[in-house]
Amino acid sequence: MSAGFAGPGEHGGLTVSVDRTRCAGTGLCAASAPDDLALSDGRARPLRERTDALDEVVEAAELCPMEAITVRRVATGEQLAP
Amino acid sequence: MSLDPSDAAPTEALIPLHCRQAARPGPPELTTLLTGTPVYLVRRHADVRQVLTDPRLGRAPLYAADAPPLTPYPNLLDDPDGLLNLDGQEHQRLRRTVQRAFTPRAIARWRPWVASVVEDLVSRLSDAARPADLITAFARPLPVAVISRLMGLDTLDLKRLAYWSDHALSTSAHTPEQVREAIVDFLAFGTALVAKRRAEPGDDLVSSLVLAADEDGEVTEQQIVRLVIGLVVAGHETTMTSLGNALVYLLTDGRDAWERLAGSEEEAAAAAEQLLRSVPLGENEVLPGLLRRAKEDVEIGGVLVPAGSVVAADHFAANHDPEVYPADWQGGLFDPVGTPHLTFGAGPHHCLGAWLARMELELALHRLARRLPGLRLTVPVAEIEWRRGLLTRSPQTLPATW
Repeated sequence: MSAGFAGPGEHGGLTVSVDRTRCAGTGLCAASAPDDLALSDGRARPLRERTDALDEVVEAAELCPMEAITVRRVATGEQLAP
Repeated sequence: MSLDPSDAAPTEALIPLHCRQAARPGPPELTTLLTGTPVYLVRRHADVRQVLTDPRLGRAPLYAADAPPLTPYPNLLDDPDGLLNLDGQEHQRLRRTVQRAFTPRAIARWRPWVASVVEDLVSRLSDAARPADLITAFARPLPVAVISRLMGLDTLDLKRLAYWSDHALSTSAHTPEQVREAIVDFLAFGTALVAKRRAEPGDDLVSSLVLAADEDGEVTEQQIVRLVIGLVVAGHETTMTSLGNALVYLLTDGRDAWERLAGSEEEAAAAAEQLLRSVPLGENEVLPGLLRRAKEDVEIGGVLVPAGSVVAADHFAANHDPEVYPADWQGGLFDPVGTPHLTFGAGPHHCLGAWLARMELELALHRLARRLPGLRLTVPVAEIEWRRGLLTRSPQTLPATW
């Protein structure tokens, strides 16, 4: 799934953002990336400003039924998922 | 309520679903289900959303050994191995086997194909003798074609499909024995299909979910089979209902919107979203809302709901909560909905097929309005024949000319 992406840490980290209006609170993301996403008041929120858990956060963004999660590379701003 | 379908014959005309008035939301109220089981009825938008997303409330406890009776009728939704009735990790494990096929992007890839099915059906309809029935010619075959293609069921016997779906969500339309027989037959179909796709996988949804489930290793065969048959019913029954009821509105009280629907897919999408929010899929007589059961004491809308209580989240009332939405939805049919509505639920069980349903509804309404600008019903509203005795209500037939 993440084949072709640079490995964790190689580009100085990733940011995860959540559109909390769009979020339906399914919690699939928190199960995929428990260190980076959690539900509060029925909506997902990122747990830290930067992360290197590439596979986990990309999976969270790709599984999100609302496409409410965006993963970007900090250094370049490039959107990695969804 | 009678179990004999002939007794259920209407003595007076039913109102179209777009005319139903939602209960004015207030704090949770303690009432009872038809079985006499006490239930906290929740209606405010914020409270309904909480009930559906709060992990202290679940579906699995509704079917635990100590659970009270919920409906006087058996139906497919009662199965403890169904996706809808699993919670937590077990639920996520099963949902992950199909989730990727239902994201907005995955669904968008089907758009040209779905549009071609719609065009095809409209072409055949416009060539047909008038008046023609919009349900038989359009509202039923569209979702059936889509789910059949998605799941690789091109050889599916449509009579058998209609038999399963008429029984799966039945309340009083059939006897409990008839419903159980239909579910046994449906399960046998699901079991055989899963075995076939495991042996000879294709590029369809059933093959990919069986592969994903087998790779996971902890998903049970019962869960796989129930997911497959659940997709078959959910994939067409609710879409047909939603489309049928939308057409009743658009060809009667909402007829002024028909020309604008034809204008663009964007406008049709906006209207489809408002219709999804505003027009319910049925009455709440058997289930007053989406049911959950409290695993521990939980406060909802200022009311303490004790552990073990059954809670019903009335998403119809929530979708008309005056704190959230304007009172006149018909006047704002093409306006953005704003706060997400709760027709597809929220939380872990948020409707898997939401994006597919939206796409089918908006394409169906747009193309039908564009190709048949003069479409009109040939029966008065009071004479519309309804499918009755099911958890949903939609027109049985909708005779129309153009």
